[in-house]
Amino acid sequence: MIKTRNQPIKFEDTAQQEVKCTTCYMCACRCGIEVTLQEGRIRFIKGNRKHPVNQGVLCAKGSAGIMKQYSKAKLTGPMLRKPGTERGAGEFVPISWDAALEMLTKRLAHIRATDPKQLAFFTGRDQMQALTGLWAQQFGTPNWAAHGGFCSVNMAAAGLYSIGYSFWEFGAVDWDRTKYFVLWGVAEDHSSNPIKIGLDKLKRNGAKFVSINPVRTGYSAIADQWLPIRPGTDGLLALAIVHELLSRQLFDAPFLARYTNSAWLVIDAPGTSKDGLFLRDAVGQPLIRDQNTGQFANGLGADIDPALFGEFQTPEGVRVRTVLTLAASRYIDERYSPKAVAERCGVAADVIERLALEMATIAFEETIEIPVRWTDVWGKTHDKVVGRPVSMYAMRGVSAHSNGFQTCRALHLIQMLLGALEGPGNFRARAPYPRPIPPLILPENNATTINAPNTPLGKPPLGFPMRPEDLAIDADGKPLRIDHAYSWESPLAAHGAMHMVITNAVNADPYPIDTLILFMANMAWNSTMNTSGVQDMLRAKHETGPNAGEHKIPFLVVADAFESETVQFADLVLPDTTYLERFDAISLLDRPISEADTVADAIRHPIVALDRNVRPWQEVLVDLAGRLKFPAFTNAEGNPKFKGYTDFIVNYEKVPGIGFLAGWRGKDGSKSLRGEPNPDQWNRYIENGAFFTHHWAESEKWMRLWNRDYQQKAVEAAFILEVEPIIMQIYSEPIQKFRLAGQGLYEGPKPSDPQDRARLSRYFDPLPDWYPNLENIDADEKAFPFHAITQRPMVMYHSWDTQNVWLRQIMAGNFLYMNAASAAARGFASMDWVWVESRLGKIRCQLKTMEGVEANTVWTWNAIGKQTGAWALEPGASESTHGFLLNHLISEQLPTKPGDRKLTNSDPITGQAAWYDLKVNVTKATAGEEGVWPQFGAATTVKADA
Amino acid sequence: MRLGLTIDLDTCVGCHACAVACKEWNGESLMAGPLPDYKPYGNDPSGAWLNRIRSFEYGDYPENKTVNVPMSCLHCEEAACVTVCPTGASYKRPDGIVLVDPDKCIGCNYCAWACPYGARELDQTVGVMKKCTLCVDRIYDERLPEEDRQPACVLACPTQARMFGDFDDPQSSVAQAAAARGMSPMLADLGYKPVNSYLAPRCAPDVKVDAAKSPKKSLTQLLSEWVGASKAN
Amino acid sequence: MRPAFSVIFFTVSSGAGLGLLVWLVVLSATGLYGGVSPDMVLPMLALGLLLTTAGLLSSTLHLANPKNAWRAFSQFRTSWLSREGVFAAAIFPVAGLFGVLSMVDAPAAPRVFAGGLLVLLALGLLYCTGMIYACLKTIPRWHTRLVPAGYVLMGLYSGALAALPFLTRGFAEGVSPLALASLPLLAAFIIKAVYFFRFRAPDARFTLNDALPLGKKTIRLLDVGHTHGTFLTDEFYFKLARSHAQRLRVAALGLGFVVPLLILASGTRSVVLLAAAAVSCLLGLLAERWLFFAEAEHVVRLYHGASRI
Ligand SMILES: Nc1nc2c(c(=O)[nH]1)N[C@H]1C(S)=C(S)[C@@H](COP(=O)(O)OP(=O)(O)OC[C@H]3O[C@@H](n4cnc5c(=O)[nH]c(N)nc54)[C@H](O)[C@@H]3O)O[C@H]1N2
Ligand SMILES: Nc1nc2c(c(=O)[nH]1)N[C@H]1C(S)=C(S)[C@@H](COP(=O)(O)OP(=O)(O)OC[C@H]3O[C@@H](n4cnc5c(=O)[nH]c(N)nc54)[C@H](O)[C@@H]3O)O[C@H]1N2
Ligand code: SF4
Ligand code: SF4
Ligand code: SF4
Ligand code: SF4
Ligand code: SF4
Ligand SMILES: [Mo]
Repeated sequence: MIKTRNQPIKFEDTAQQEVKCTTCYMCACRCGIEVTLQEGRIRFIKGNRKHPVNQGVLCAKGSAGIMKQYSKAKLTGPMLRKPGTERGAGEFVPISWDAALEMLTKRLAHIRATDPKQLAFFTGRDQMQALTGLWAQQFGTPNWAAHGGFCSVNMAAAGLYSIGYSFWEFGAVDWDRTKYFVLWGVAEDHSSNPIKIGLDKLKRNGAKFVSINPVRTGYSAIADQWLPIRPGTDGLLALAIVHELLSRQLFDAPFLARYTNSAWLVIDAPGTSKDGLFLRDAVGQPLIRDQNTGQFANGLGADIDPALFGEFQTPEGVRVRTVLTLAASRYIDERYSPKAVAERCGVAADVIERLALEMATIAFEETIEIPVRWTDVWGKTHDKVVGRPVSMYAMRGVSAHSNGFQTCRALHLIQMLLGALEGPGNFRARAPYPRPIPPLILPENNATTINAPNTPLGKPPLGFPMRPEDLAIDADGKPLRIDHAYSWESPLAAHGAMHMVITNAVNADPYPIDTLILFMANMAWNSTMNTSGVQDMLRAKHETGPNAGEHKIPFLVVADAFESETVQFADLVLPDTTYLERFDAISLLDRPISEADTVADAIRHPIVALDRNVRPWQEVLVDLAGRLKFPAFTNAEGNPKFKGYTDFIVNYEKVPGIGFLAGWRGKDGSKSLRGEPNPDQWNRYIENGAFFTHHWAESEKWMRLWNRDYQQKAVEAAFILEVEPIIMQIYSEPIQKFRLAGQGLYEGPKPSDPQDRARLSRYFDPLPDWYPNLENIDADEKAFPFHAITQRPMVMYHSWDTQNVWLRQIMAGNFLYMNAASAAARGFASMDWVWVESRLGKIRCQLKTMEGVEANTVWTWNAIGKQTGAWALEPGASESTHGFLLNHLISEQLPTKPGDRKLTNSDPITGQAAWYDLKVNVTKATAGEEGVWPQFGAATTVKADA
Repeated sequence: MRLGLTIDLDTCVGCHACAVACKEWNGESLMAGPLPDYKPYGNDPSGAWLNRIRSFEYGDYPENKTVNVPMSCLHCEEAACVTVCPTGASYKRPDGIVLVDPDKCIGCNYCAWACPYGARELDQTVGVMKKCTLCVDRIYDERLPEEDRQPACVLACPTQARMFGDFDDPQSSVAQAAAARGMSPMLADLGYKPVNSYLAPRCAPDVKVDAAKSPKKSLTQLLSEWVGASKAN
Repeated sequence: MRPAFSVIFFTVSSGAGLGLLVWLVVLSATGLYGGVSPDMVLPMLALGLLLTTAGLLSSTLHLANPKNAWRAFSQFRTSWLSREGVFAAAIFPVAGLFGVLSMVDAPAAPRVFAGGLLVLLALGLLYCTGMIYACLKTIPRWHTRLVPAGYVLMGLYSGALAALPFLTRGFAEGVSPLALASLPLLAAFIIKAVYFFRFRAPDARFTLNDALPLGKKTIRLLDVGHTHGTFLTDEFYFKLARSHAQRLRVAALGLGFVVPLLILASGTRSVVLLAAAAVSCLLGLLAERWLFFAEAEHVVRLYHGASRI
C-alpha cells in the first residue's frame, strides 16, 4: 500500500467570476452553454443542464469555443481589395464602416433600381435564413439561398413531400422508447449532442442499434450491427426491405389506410395527361374506394373504410388502382428481392431479410401503448397511442447522392409500412413541423415581379413547387434563378443550389450578375465542388467585348468573421463578430431547436466585449435594409423603421402576433408562441438562460399530423394555416406531374430539351425508386473503381475549426482510408503517398489502411486541408502539407455527351449536390513524390495593411 | 475511499468532448494549469493534455468493431508513479486521487516512465509534470452546485460514458457498473491495480424472428388475397 | 525510450568514476596487483570524483525544473532515484575523508573504514542507478536483475580501465594490465552478452490484447487522437533504424570490449595506450547505453500503434 498524503486543494476564485448563459455556435446544433467569465476573460464553457438540446453535455467543439474567441484568425475591420492588386491575392486596405456601407449601398441601390436579380446573396449554415430571406425578398432578387442545396435538401424535400416533417432538423427519434434503431449514413449530423445522448439511452435500454454505413467510426463504432454498404445503394437496400415487408404481409394496414395515401386511387390512363394522377372529386378531394359502401368516397373524410388494394373503374370508365396496389406490384417484383440487390449493395441477402423481419417483429410484437386521451382531426377521441417502436434516422450518406431524394423517400416508405411515424418509439416531428405535404409555400416565379425595379418579391425566393407551373422559368423554359433552382434541371430545389452560383454566374447562364454576397460560407474552398476551378472562376475576367478586363463576377462581398480562403477573393470584406459577441435569434421561423415534446427557440447575446472594428452581420443587414428603403424596414416617412437588429427582432411581425422569437410575447411578456411585441423580450430570454420552451400537453404530443388538439395550437402559433388531416404520401402526385411534363403529356409547361425530358421521365417516379448515381451511369467501373466519400470529424466543424488551437492538435491533417485487404491486394501499405484521380482531376495524399471501411470505398475526414496562409496558420502548417480536400476531384457538372447541355452534378429532382457519387482510382506515388498536392500559392495574408 | 471514473467503451463514440473539456478546465485551474500549447498555429501543433482518446479496431473486416478508448490517469492503487518520484511531488491522497505538487516537481519524467497508461505529460514550458487531478478542485468545491461537483470530462460527455464516484462504496454507480460490466484491467500483469474501470463493449441480443410465421407469397397470390379480403368485407 | 544524452553520459561517466573509486580503495587496501602508489591516490581519487561529478551534473541537465533538485533526496524510502541522489551526495564527504586519511597516513582502521564505506556507497550508487531502470515494470527490457548487475559490472570494468594508467607501480613489478582488467571485462561482457541474447528474440511480453483486454481477436490502432507528436511519443516512441542499431552494437562491442582487450593483450604498459583503452571503453559504453535506451520499449507504445513489445 502506498502511503497517502493530503495537501490543501487550491480552488478557483469564484468571487471573481460570473456566469452567463447563451447558445453555442461552434456548430449548428445550438446547445445551451454557461460561460464563466473572470475579469472579462472566458474561463470556462459548460453545457447548460436545463437546456432542451444538450441537457448539460457539451461536445469537443463547444468546450473549445474559448479558443475560437481568442483565435488569431479573427478579422479585425472592414477591408477593400487593395487598388491595383489582383483578386485572390489577398491584399487589402482598411476602409471605414461608413465608407464601406455607403459604397455598397450605392452599388446595391443601382442594381435594385435597374435589374434586381443581378444581386446574388448566398449564405452558409447561418441560423438566420428567415432574416436573410426576407432581406432578399425585400430587395427583389430571387437569387438567394442558404447552403441547403449542397447540404441535405434531399432529406428535407423527401420528408416534406412524403411525411410532413423530415430528417435533418425537423424530426427526432423517440430515444426513450425506441427498441430498434436504424441509422443510415450518418457520421455526426447537426443534432450532434442529442444523437449522442440518444444513443446512450438506446444502449442503456437494450434497444438494438443498426448502422448502415460504408465506414465504421463514431456512432457506427458502437452500433450492435454494422452493415458496410456500397455507397449510393441504400435505396435498393431499403426497397428490398419493402419487398420483404410487402411480400410477407408485414405492414400496418390500419395506419396505411387512415394516415397515408395508400388507399388513394391512381388513374391508369397511359399516354394521357391524367395518367398517374389521383382520382379526385369535383372539389379536388382525393377519392378512395369505401369497402362498406362499395362507393368512391372522399379520402380525407371522417367515416371511411378505404380499400387498401384493388383495381376499380369509375362510372366514366376510368381505370384506377390504389396506391398500395401499385406499390405492391412494383416492389414485390423479384428485382427488389434481397437476393437481387445483395451484390450491388454489398449486403448479403439473408442479412437484408433478417433486417426486415427484425424491424417487423419489433414493430408488431413489441408494440408500445401509452394511455393518453387525444382527439383526431376527424373528431374521434382515442384513449391511447400505439407505438411501433422502430425508428430510423438518415443524413448525408443518403442525401449527398444524386439518388438521395428517392432513397430517402424509400426510407420513409419503410416507416409508413411499419406504421412507425409520430408514435411512441418512432421518428417524431419537431415544431413548427408537421406541415401540409408539401408545405404551402410557393417560390417566387413571376418574371415580371422579379425584373421589376425597386420592388420586393411577392413570394419568398424559396418554396415547394406542387406542379410544373410553379417552376421559376421564363417563357422559353430558361431558369429565372442564377442557380437554376426550380428549373427543369432541378425542379424541386427547395433550398436553392448554392454550389452552382459561381459557375453559372461566370458562364452568364442564364444571365450575368453584378454583385455576389457570400455570408458565412467558404465557397472558394471546402464548401464548393471543383475548388481549384472555382478559384479560377472567381479570378476570371472577360477577355473580349465591352467588359474586357473586368471580372466575370464584377463585385464580390464576403461577410465572414475569420480569415478564410474565400476572404482573400473578396472585393469588399465585411467582418462579422463571433457568436459570443453578438445578439442572435434562433427562431421558429427558421431552423429552430424544438424537440419532439417541446417547442423551443433561443438567443445569443454579447458575453464578451467587442475589441475590434467588426459588426454583427444581421446589424449590417438591417442597416442596409434601411438605407435601401425596403418597405418592410421603412416607416411611412421613409425612414428606417428599426433601430437595429435587436429592435427588429422584437418588433417585426410576420403576421400579427408572430415574430422571430416566440417566448415572452405580449406587452407584459405573459404570452407564448403568439402575442404582441414585448420590448423586454431579450431580457426575459437572458434571464431564462437564453432559451424559451413550451411543452406540449400529453394529448398534443403524438400523431400530430392528425391530432386536433395539437393542430389547434399549431394554427394559433402560425405553424400551419388550418386544422386538417395531413396525409402521408407514399405516392407523390406532384412528382408524377413533373414526370408527365417530361413525357410531354402534362397540360401545362413542358420542357423542350430532350435531356430534360429524359431526366423527368426517368427520375420523377411517383413511387420511391432507385437508380444508379448519375455521374457513374456511363462510367467505366475499371477506370475509377473506388467510391470516395468524406465524413464529418466530431472535433472539427468544416473549415472553421482549424484556427482553433486545441482542436487542430487533434486533427491537423487527414489520410485517405482504404480497406486493408483492398490495399494489400493492390500493393499499398499504410502511409504510402498515393495519387487519387477522378474524371475531373487528381490529388496526392497519404493512405492509411483500416478494417472498418467497405472494400470498394475510400474515405477521408471533411474539410481538414487548408490553403497556406489562411486561418492565421503559419506557412507550411500541417493542414496544407498533410491535409487535403476531396473537393478538387468532385465536378459541379455531370459528364456530358457531345452536344449536350452541361447539367449540375446533383440530384435531378432537388438539385442536391451529389458529393458522394464521386468515383476515383488510386495509384501509388512514385518514390520521392511526397506531400499533399495540389498546393495553392505562396502564403497570402488576408490582413489589411495598417 | 477510492475515487475514480468508469469509462464505458460500449457507448463511447470517440468524440473527444471529455478531452477538450478537461483541457479547458484544467488549462487554467490552480491544481493542474497551465496546460501549454506548442506551436499553436505552426506546422506541428501539440500541447499538454490530461486525457486523450485513442481508437482501435477489434477483429477483421467485416467482423470488425471500432472501439474508442479515452485514457487519463487511472488513479492506480499501486501507483508506481508515486513511489518512484524522488521528490514527493507525486502523491496519493487518502481518497485515492494521485496528484503532482508542481512546487516540488523537478521535471525528471521518471513518474511518466513508471506509468503504463501514458497518463502523465510534462509541461515543457515550466518543466513540471501534469496529470489528471480527477478535477479535485471541482469535486470538493462546495461553492459549486452539488450536481456540478463532478469532473469536467464527466459533465461534458454526451453519451454518459464517464461516471465518477467512490469504488469503495458498493452503492455507488461506479462500483455497481464496474461490478456488472467492468473489463479486466489493462495490463493487469503489471499489478498497478487501476481504480478507474473500463466497461466492456457489448452487443444487444439479436431480435428473435420467425420467418415461417410470415411466409413470402407471390404478387398474384397476395393481390388476390388482399383484394378478396376487401371484397369479402 | 528516447535516448537522453545527459542521462547516458551520466551513467557512463559516473559509472567509470565510481568503479575507479572502488578499485582505488580495494587495491590500495589490499595491495593486490601491486596496490596503489601513494602519489597516485589523490589523482585517482580526483579523477574518480571528477567523472562522478561530471556525470551527476550532466544528469541534472535532464531535469526540466532543476531548481527543485534538492527535494530529490526526500523519498529515500521508496524511490531509487531519490536513493541514487542520497548515495551520490554521501559519496563526496566519504571520498574526501578517505582522501584526507590517505594523505595524512592515518592508521589503517579509519582508513579502511572510510574506504569500505566509500566502496559500499559507490557500489550502492551503481546499483541504485541500475535499479532506477530495473524497477520499472513498464519497460520489460529494463525490468530484470541483469540491469543493476550490468550497471555495477560495467562500472567496475570501466573503472578498472580508468584505473590502469595509474597503476604504474604494479606494472613496474610485472603485473600485467590484462590480469587486473580481465576479470571485470569478462564479467561485464558476459552480463551484456546475456542481456543481448535474452532480448534478441522479439518474444512479446505484452501485446495490444493485454493493453486492451477486449478479447482474443486482432486489435489494431486506428487513431491516436492527435496528428502530431506528444510528450508521450517524444519520450517513449523512439524509432531506431535496424541498420543504426547494428552499427551501434558493433561500436559497443568493438570500442567497449575488443579494442581495450587488444590493447591490454598486447602487453603494453604505456600510460597513453592504457588511457586510450579506457577512453575506447567509455565510448563503447556510450554506444551501449544509447542502445539500452533506444531499444527499450515502454508498454505505452501499445497504445500508440505497437501490437506487441
Ligand atoms: N468534400 C466535401 N465537401 C463538402 C461536404 C462534404 O461532405 N464533402 N459537405 C458540404 C456541406 S453539407 C456543407 S454545409 C459545406 C459547409 O461548408 P461551409 O459553409 O463553407 O462551412 P465552413 O467551412 O464552416 O465555413 C463557413 C464560413 O463561415 C465563417 N464563419 C464562422 N463563424 C462565423 C460567424 O460567426 N459569422 C460569419 N459571418 N462567418 C462565420 C467561417 O470563417 C467560414 O469561412 O461543405 C460542403 N462541402
Ligand atoms: N462535428 C461536426 N458536426 C457537423 C459538421 C461538421 O463539420 N463537424 N457539419 C454539419 C453539417 S453542415 C452537416 S450537413 C451535418 C452532416 O452530418 P452527417 O450526415 O453525419 O454528415 P457526413 O459526415 O457527411 O456523414 C455521412 C455519413 O454517411 C456515410 N456514407 C457516405 N455515403 C454513404 C452511402 O451511400 N450510404 C450510407 N448508408 N452511408 C454513406 C459516410 O461514411 C458518413 O458516415 O453535420 C453537421 N454537423
Ligand atoms: S454540438 Fe457542440 S459545437 Fe455544436 S452547438 Fe452543441 S456544443 Fe456547440
Ligand atoms: S495511471 Fe499512471 S499516473 Fe495514474 S496512477 Fe496509474 S501509474 Fe500513476
Ligand atoms: S517529474 Fe516531477 S512528479 Fe514526476 S517523478 Fe519527477 S519530480 Fe516526481
Ligand atoms: S477527471 Fe478532470 S482532470 Fe481527469 S480527465 Fe477528467 S477532466 Fe481531466
Ligand atoms: S466524451 Fe464520452 S463519448 Fe466522447 S470521447 Fe469522451 S468518453 Fe467517449
Ligand atoms: Mo451541411
